[in-house]
Amino acid sequence: MQNLASHEDWKSCFSEVAPGLLLFARQWVQSAADAEDIVQEAFVKFWRRNHKIDNRALLYSAVRSIALDFIRRDSRRARREASAISETDEFIEPQFEFEDDTQRALAEAIDVLPCEQREVVVMKIWNELTFAEIAGVLGVSQNTAASRYRYALAALRNTLQPR
Amino acid sequence: MNDFSEIENELRKLRPAQPSPILFERIEEAMAENCRASVSDARPVAKWRWRFTETPYKIGFAVAGAAVLLLLARINTSQNQQGDGKEMAQVSPAHETAPLRSSAKESTSSDKFLPAGATRLVYNTRNEGLQFARSSGQPLRQLRYQTRETWQWRNPTTGASLRVSYPSEEVVLIPVSGQ
Repeated sequence: MQNLASHEDWKSCFSEVAPGLLLFARQWVQSAADAEDIVQEAFVKFWRRNHKIDNRALLYSAVRSIALDFIRRDSRRARREASAISETDEFIEPQFEFEDDTQRALAEAIDVLPCEQREVVVMKIWNELTFAEIAGVLGVSQNTAASRYRYALAALRNTLQPR
Repeated sequence: MNDFSEIENELRKLRPAQPSPILFERIEEAMAENCRASVSDARPVAKWRWRFTETPYKIGFAVAGAAVLLLLARINTSQNQQGDGKEMAQVSPAHETAPLRSSAKESTSSDKFLPAGATRLVYNTRNEGLQFARSSGQPLRQLRYQTRETWQWRNPTTGASLRVSYPSEEVVLIPVSGQ
């Protein structure tokens, strides 16, 4: 088990987990900059407390709690930004790197998933957390986490099926 | 049972956006700032330790001053005891903090308290090593005495007694001369 604080090259640790963490944070905030702020705060907090990098569930819990604090604290600004974006159809930074239209459609389908399903998918697919770890982050049972995941995949599959 | 392996594979092909390079710099900066903050947090402790090493002198002087006052008070009380009135203290509910002698003079014979005893029990002596005072080059050995002093008064008329007991600490600096 590697300890993040004693790990000399924290950058390599961070580059492994950062894309997944940012994706996770993006479900609560519109802008990539806000997501980076949240991830930065969580990662530094995690590093300061000398946690092991393998304890990713704890890292995700930190991101989640900081993101929720952020939207509580900044809800007015977030609402203003959201309405401004919807009015002007402004460009929103993409959360994924697309290679084709199928991937773009899939990304859009992920965006419209209910938040509780989306967070499970993000943790499971792009961060490879187990259902036990996901359940720990969300404070739900493993069965609940697994069923949310299944609902999400079913919804995504239905969206992508040709009609 | 549904098989989601196909959609899972599709999802895995989708790569999340990479963080901006600035984020790495910001985190590095935040970590460095954190280290600086923890170093500055540690400083007051060091300062406090330095102060603590200075305080024995102050405590010593304060305790020595208190001891002198107590000795003077003791001499006064013994003189009073030998004198005409033999008054020591008076218990007055209205003036509990009033000076003992002045109130004693005004008191009537029924509420006179006479000294009944005084003890000073040294229960610990500690040699705290050599100290170097700023003003002199001569080393001083610091001895710390921990004591409990007890004073007792008795009213012969009513039989009431008054007992005061308190812990005290005395720091004595003894000049050390090399021979």
